[in-house]
Amino acid sequence: MNCVERYLAKAAGVAETTAGQDLSCKVSYVAAHDVTAPIAIDMFRRIGVKKVFDPDRVALIVDHIYPANSEKARNNVWAMKDFADEFGVHLYHRGEGVIHQLMYEKHRAQPGELVVIADSHTGTCGGYGAVGVGVGSTELAAAMATGRLDLEVPQVIQIYLTGKRRSNVFGKDLILYLGSLFGTDYLVDRAMVFTGPGIEDLSVAERMTVCNMGIELGAMITLFGTVEKEPDTLEVKEIDLGSLEPQIARPFSPANVVPVREVAGTPVTQVVVGSCTNGRLNDMEQVAKAFEGKHVHPDVNTLVVPASKEILDEMERRGWCRIIRDAGATVLNPGCGSCFGAHEGLTSERDTVVSTTNRNFPGRMGSMKAKIYLASPATAAATALAGKITVPGEE
Amino acid sequence: MEIIKGKVIVLGDDVDTDQILPGYAMAEPYDQLGNFAMAGLAGLDFKSVYEPGSIIVAGRNFGCGSSREQAPIALHQLGVSLVMAKGFARIFRRNAINIGLPVWAADIADRLKTGDLAEVDLEKGTVAVNGTVYEFTPMAPTVLKTLEYGGLIPRVRAELGIE
Repeated sequence: MNCVERYLAKAAGVAETTAGQDLSCKVSYVAAHDVTAPIAIDMFRRIGVKKVFDPDRVALIVDHIYPANSEKARNNVWAMKDFADEFGVHLYHRGEGVIHQLMYEKHRAQPGELVVIADSHTGTCGGYGAVGVGVGSTELAAAMATGRLDLEVPQVIQIYLTGKRRSNVFGKDLILYLGSLFGTDYLVDRAMVFTGPGIEDLSVAERMTVCNMGIELGAMITLFGTVEKEPDTLEVKEIDLGSLEPQIARPFSPANVVPVREVAGTPVTQVVVGSCTNGRLNDMEQVAKAFEGKHVHPDVNTLVVPASKEILDEMERRGWCRIIRDAGATVLNPGCGSCFGAHEGLTSERDTVVSTTNRNFPGRMGSMKAKIYLASPATAAATALAGKITVPGEE
Repeated sequence: MEIIKGKVIVLGDDVDTDQILPGYAMAEPYDQLGNFAMAGLAGLDFKSVYEPGSIIVAGRNFGCGSSREQAPIALHQLGVSLVMAKGFARIFRRNAINIGLPVWAADIADRLKTGDLAEVDLEKGTVAVNGTVYEFTPMAPTVLKTLEYGGLIPRVRAELGIE
């Protein structure tokens, strides 16, 4: 058995399993946010059960639209508050941060534990070895009621990492590069597992970025294993981290990836650093380091969105907020920010954006015609300063 | 399950959930979501070709992106009767079945054009268009059963004997 099979077998309480088998697995944590929770709550009430499986293992988190940008959005928050009051589950509705970061900070699963969140980027917890499966609202309601998730054990694509990355290459560049290899659907219903000595060159935060975007390749589960090669995987792809250079996804697909140098010089009007993909302290450090004593290009609207209040607090302690503001950029409240096109930095057709977020679909950040490029915080910061797409470290 | 008849609307690969239901529509009340179905579709004014009961026919990876159950709900409320695609993103596929929208893996987009009338038998796995019958792997019985109940919650309630 490979590690995904071992973990899922344990969660299902069986000695052995193999790809293709249907299992009913015990869930360790369940969570939903203000886009998915309201329907999940409605579905939960329709099931007709009187309690959630374990209130201490259920969290509702307002991150997508905080503070509310409409009466409707505010009503969704009230629905979550009412549910939390009635069933005793955890509620975060004061701008504490993005769901995947808060689960890491407040409700961290152990390696191998199953995490079910009504959000597609649930794989993020694979950065610390947990098994994250993203679901919709109905399946989440069922998981809240039963504490279990029915699933089919996926085949595993193993990414065996060797070497050390260059100073301008990050987890984001690795996952973008994998997108260029696999495309958007090769991993549908499959799992992607990272092993090999190269994983030691990626911090947990960098690993979370990698796992966050597994879904953009279609993956059901993405996680980091150990340096040891896993047995029983469908295929093994070896990648030397030292061979990678900074990568960027061009409009309008996260898998439409080239090295940054191939599009260097493209004028940019907005830069966004943040989200569940790249809003952690190490990401903010890249921005603060690049911006110190400098000013962003006058044509670039630069938005920095920490993934949580804890991260924002630490940025303030270290003086990074001051550096970022003095550089002419804006530090926004923790949350999903402009990533998904509801508020806080929407585009018009005149905009070209470099963003550290996870999707550049048409209309993702407002205008259908706005061009969105996806890159690492280092690339985004260098681009904000230069006003055009720039390879970090080669300004 | 009854045979599904409808006008075909052919779309391309990677039709993502932001195109099916844009982020700005996400906080809309549940019963209003159908008004925003396909509001973000690139390259086609969906409403101009849509007729009640239309069948969407697409390429690879339909429904990629977000876990928002609002996306299949919006198509279902609008009255789309079926989505046939070469492939579906995992979460969208499960969401659609769970809320009672038939989605079926059938690689037929290249053989049809928008405006064709199709008759689809999911149990037999056949698609009849312009006198030609195409055959695919029939829909799995367990999926058909959930659809016949109108989705996962009605099925579970019925199976648990909840009135």
